[in-house]
Order: sequence, then C-alpha cells, then structure tokens
Amino acid sequence: MASTSKYDAIVIGSGISGGFAAKQLTEKGLRVLMLDRGFMVEHQSGYPYDGKPAFELPARGDVPKAIVESDYFIAKYGYLSTSNLQFYNDDRLNPYVTDEGSKFRWIRPAAVGGKSLIWGRWCFRWSAADFEANKREGIGGDWPIRYDDVAPWYSYVEKYIGVSGSRENLPYLPDSEFQPPMPMNVAEKWVKGRLESAFPGRKLINARLSNMTEDKPEQNRSKCQFRDQCSNGCSFGAYFSTQAVTLPAARATGRLTIRSDAVVSNLEYDPKCKRVTGVRFVDAKTGQAEVVKAPLVFLCASAMASVQILMNSRAPGTDKSYFDTSGTLGRYVMDHIFRTHITGEVPGMTEYIEYGRRPGAIYIPRFRNVGTDDGVGFKRGYGYQGGASRSPSKPVGFGAAMKEGMRRYDPWKFSIGAFGECLPYEDNRVSLHPTRVDRFGIPQLRFDVTFRDNELRMMADARTQGEMMLRQAGLVNVTSGESEHVPGEAIHEMGGARMGNDPRTSVLNKWNQAHDAANLFVTDGSQMNSISCVNPSLTFMALTCRAVDHAVKQLHAGALA
Amino acid sequence: MIDRRTALAGMAALFGAPLFAPIARAAGLVGKDSRPVISEGPPSVQVFTAPQRALMTQLSERVIPTTDTPGAIKAGVPDYIEKLLADWALPQERIPILAGLDAIEAKCIQDYKVPTAQATPEQLDALLTAAMNAQFADGAPFFVAFRQLVITGYYTSEIGMTQEQEYLPVPGEYHGDYLYSNVNKVYTA
Repeated sequence: MASTSKYDAIVIGSGISGGFAAKQLTEKGLRVLMLDRGFMVEHQSGYPYDGKPAFELPARGDVPKAIVESDYFIAKYGYLSTSNLQFYNDDRLNPYVTDEGSKFRWIRPAAVGGKSLIWGRWCFRWSAADFEANKREGIGGDWPIRYDDVAPWYSYVEKYIGVSGSRENLPYLPDSEFQPPMPMNVAEKWVKGRLESAFPGRKLINARLSNMTEDKPEQNRSKCQFRDQCSNGCSFGAYFSTQAVTLPAARATGRLTIRSDAVVSNLEYDPKCKRVTGVRFVDAKTGQAEVVKAPLVFLCASAMASVQILMNSRAPGTDKSYFDTSGTLGRYVMDHIFRTHITGEVPGMTEYIEYGRRPGAIYIPRFRNVGTDDGVGFKRGYGYQGGASRSPSKPVGFGAAMKEGMRRYDPWKFSIGAFGECLPYEDNRVSLHPTRVDRFGIPQLRFDVTFRDNELRMMADARTQGEMMLRQAGLVNVTSGESEHVPGEAIHEMGGARMGNDPRTSVLNKWNQAHDAANLFVTDGSQMNSISCVNPSLTFMALTCRAVDHAVKQLHAGALA
Repeated sequence: MIDRRTALAGMAALFGAPLFAPIARAAGLVGKDSRPVISEGPPSVQVFTAPQRALMTQLSERVIPTTDTPGAIKAGVPDYIEKLLADWALPQERIPILAGLDAIEAKCIQDYKVPTAQATPEQLDALLTAAMNAQFADGAPFFVAFRQLVITGYYTSEIGMTQEQEYLPVPGEYHGDYLYSNVNKVYTA
C-alpha cells in the first residue's frame, strides 16, 4: 500500500463488531488503530470478580440503591451486579435526551470489549425469510443482501468463536456450525415432549449460545464450566468476548494498536473526493482532542453511537451530516419487544435437581407467520427464551424449622419470555439535540422511538399462546405477566444507518460501505433494515467479516483512495 | 446535611450543558474517579444504639439459629445488617427496623418485666411471633424487613453458602437429573 500514514485502518469501537473488524483487518495485513471510549480491560487480569462468590463481592453483589439512582438509572434496566458494574456506562456522566412522551433505555457499556463482556450470548442465524420480509410485505427498505450472501460468513464466525446448539433442520431457524448443545434438564425434556405433541410444528429446542461445550486450545479457551457468572468476565474464555477471542487474534499479528478512553466525536470529510479524511476523538482522561488518519475507517461504535458520530460529522454551521444524502440517517430505529413472560409448575420429578449452573437453557422458535400470513392481526413473529429450574423453598415463619425448610426445593418451575420483532418505522428516529452537549462537547443523542400496534398485538399473542402452550403441555399454576414495553430494554437497539442499493434511500450499500464515502464501513447494529425476532450479534459478526473482506480487496485495488 | 457534591451534581443535571470547569470539578464530574465507589469497611455512621444492636443481634440468631450448622451470629449477619443499613440501603430503610426494635424492647418490659437483654430465647421467640402476626404497632413491617435482612445476610455469607448450603465454585459439568438425595441440601446460585 502506498499509504504514508502510520495506520492502514482505524476501527472505532471494540465490541462484537469492532473486535471482529480488528481481527480480520490485521490478519489481512493491515496496521490497525482501534479506538474505544471505554477503559482498558485485559482478559483475565481485568476481571476482578471472576470466580468470586457473593460473600466476596462488594455489598454482596447488590448495587446500593442510591448509586443505582444517581449513576446507573438507565443501566439498571440491564443486568447489574457489583461484580460487573464497572462494565456498564455511568448514566450521570454520559447523558442523552428522550422526547416528551417517549422513553428509550440506552443501555451502554463502559469498557473496551463493549457489550461483548455483558451480552446474553445467544447466537442465531437469520433465515432466508428474515432477509426477504421487508420486500415481501412492502415494509421499510429491502435488504440488498440475502441469506446466501451471509451463510458462508456465518459458518466462518461460528467455527471460530464456538457456538453450542442442537441441529434441528428448521427452515425458519437455520442451524449453525454447532458444538454439542448445553443439555436440557429432566423437566425441560418433559415439557418438550408434551408441548411438541400438543402443538405439531412448534418446537422446544436447546439454547444456541456462544458458551462453548468443547475446548479451543488453539485459542487458549476452555469450555464452559457451568458457573453461570459470565458477566463477571470469564477467565476460561468460555464465551465469545472481544477480550477472549478477537483481541488476542488481532494482537498476535503485531499490527494492532489500541487506544482506550478515546471518545470519538466526529469524522472529518472531504466533500470533493467523498472520502473520510480523519477521525477526531477526545481523550477522556486529559480532555485533549486529537485527529487520526488512515485510508480506511470501520465504524463499529454500537448502533446508536455510530449514528451519533455520523450525525455529528457535518460542515461547520450546518445541521446536515456528510453521510445523510439520503435523509434516512437516524431513522428506522428498532429494538426487540420482550417484557412478556409466562411461568408454570412442572408436576413431579421432585427427586431431581440441577448440578451445575447453565448460562442458558431452551428456546421456542418463532411459529407465527412462518411462510404465510396467519391472519393473527400482526406481521412477523416472536420466539421465546426460557428454561426450567428449582428454587430453594420460601421461608415460612422463622427459627430452626424455617432454616430446615429452606434446605428443600420448590417444585420445578418452567419460565419463558418472548422476544418479538419490531417493524422499521421511518419516524422512530434519533437526532442530535440542538443545544445540549455532553462533557466532551458532543451533541447529545435525542430519541423519539416507540413501539406501535403491531408490536403490542404481537406481545398480547405471545402471552396468550405462551399460557396455552404451558397449560396444554400439562403445567400447573400457569401465570403470565407483562411490564411496560420500553424500547432499548432488550439491548438489541438497531437501525439508523440502513443498508440498501439506492443511495437516495439508504446510508450504506450492500457491503456496509457508506454511499457518501467509499472508505467508510459501518458494520454494527445501525446497518439493520429489519431485526428478525432472534438475537442479532452473530449476524453483526458475519456481516463485519464480509465487509472487511470486501474493503480490503477494494483497498488493494486502489478503489478507496 | 446534603452532601455538597450530590447537590452540585443534581444542579449539573439541571443545566444539561457543559459545566463551567470549576463547578464540574467540585461536583466530582470530571476525572477518572468520578464514578461513585461502593462503601466497604466498617459502617460510616452508627445506625444502632448499643441496646438496639444487642437486641438486633439476638433476634437475628432467633430467625436463623445455630442447629447442626452455625446460626446468624457466627455467619456475621449482625455486622452485615449494620453495614447495609449504614451505607448500602437508603436512609429511610432504617426506619422500620429501628422502630420495630424499640417496640419489641417496650413490649418485652410490658409482657415480661425484663429488658430484652435478660429475656429468654423463648420470650424472644414469642415477641418475634407477635411481630410476625402484627399484634403490636410497628411489629409486622419490622418482621418482614428484618427477616429479609437476616436471610439475605445469612445465605450470602461464607457460612450460609458453604456450610448451610452447598457452593460449587467450578461445577465443570451440568446434570439436569441429579438426585437431591445425593446432597440433601440446596446448591447456591
């Protein structure tokens, strides 16, 4: 390469997408600078509470309420413990704005590794129908890619990171390259048998997780030890995180430079050549701004943060982003809707308990509107995540009898929670607040995102169907619940810089390349045209690897200069 | 007195704009240490009077007594409760505990003509039962909150997790059909 700069590429963000971008780019010979707004966390030594039981955690693991309300009033909708608090964003220090009448929980990480340190670890391929749904139904933008474009990259990623799961041959939930599944327990097997015979066509399958069931010695990673303490950081490297998987690979090339505490504010741009010419960031420790340059930029700051950076890249005195020729930047923001859950008791089998703690249990794949419109009053569908377990018996009274009683277990409880697909709406959008800025001088992101009738009808159906399935399968004391559905709480926020073939209606092309800048690739959740009902991270990984492959070919061909 | 930093941070939120640098520093909003720190070590304020603490200690042992495994006192539950109420819980969460302890002290003198320090275990159990059954003012809110504190403190303690219950630091494997009779205990989460 003829580049005279110190780096061949800059990767903004170090999470699930940024980590993979850095690995792929460095392995292809590029010198990469990775920027992340968070503090540095090293694998193993950066997990102070790994392996610690409650009695060795600050405040026994329970974050004091005053601190939650002062500093983690958004993060609390995630999965906070004092053992993972450091990995979550401080909401007081890093504010954002929601429009009156709308709520959005922007649950963010605070460390290098991003959400890969605190994610739920579920891994699903999208189906062919997921990529076709927008076109078939005339909703949102058509995906410029199809399943076959992504399938080889799914395979590549799955084999590399290790995904446990069961082969099911379901057309609407394609199998991954699996390691053996996490086993079901005796109660789940019972529910599976009865549910599948009561509801032909519906399936109850093993969880699909990035928690490994086989070692990867070549990556210094061990299989899951069934501690279920993933979010403390896992020194076994048993699940996918940047720290355990992509960072070591990128570092092994000798071509990676990491700059933590680097808060990117905007991209510098040359409108004549339509190229990104620099990345401006503020050092969070010193407050000093710097500009770094490279011929290629991968923006992987997380869906909403990437949109914020793109929006804040604009000529002085104007409101219009360099990257918003289409007028769609910040629009079509989505999240899974998921505050609906159903629980029931599994009768019998009380001689059995669980040994070990699984990080995930079972999945009921989507069965609504599969292939055809079921006429159920909403489009798309939902799946359920869940599992069966036994809790210690509740205390009765006090004293020796209570203590003795708590040595026993309650009956098996089987619980599921629905994850529903949210449609892309043009007016579910984020924008930059005209006057409010954060402590780095960056305009705050403003959210105007709400769930609509389709999503709420879908959740009502998920509740009814969930209750029906559990009752007809023979569970007793079946109850269901629903809490307020607030976008962002699934932490699957997506959209805002969608892909498309037409530069007039999309921000990115089919290679994740900005229509307005050939040397800029955006490969995190912001690229999504629709969100399926399955967890998205595996798709971000696959699309990132695919984009890197294309970008490097273009770079070598001189097409990005 | 309201902590000055808290007050300033609240004001900072009002502005929603970059703070004048000296104000930002005073409010603790700049620098890498500006995240709150969870208090550890001894309680930073005294929650209980000496008699209240003695009663709270005795009652914790009545809720989870020593049996074939150690009880609440050996497991450090009284220290946990005092630390929690001093530094981890909200200040108003002390109210039902303190009011209940005082009510139990008064009822002990009324019913048994002795202070709780001289009450028998049976008398303390009767007082706790009366609280549980809401037989005196401040009794039921005390019992609900206090039992929860004792149970949480006990089952998150080393003794509670490793002696009363069974803790598997690194299970290494998973069995979904393990016989309870192999252990006859509860595995900690």
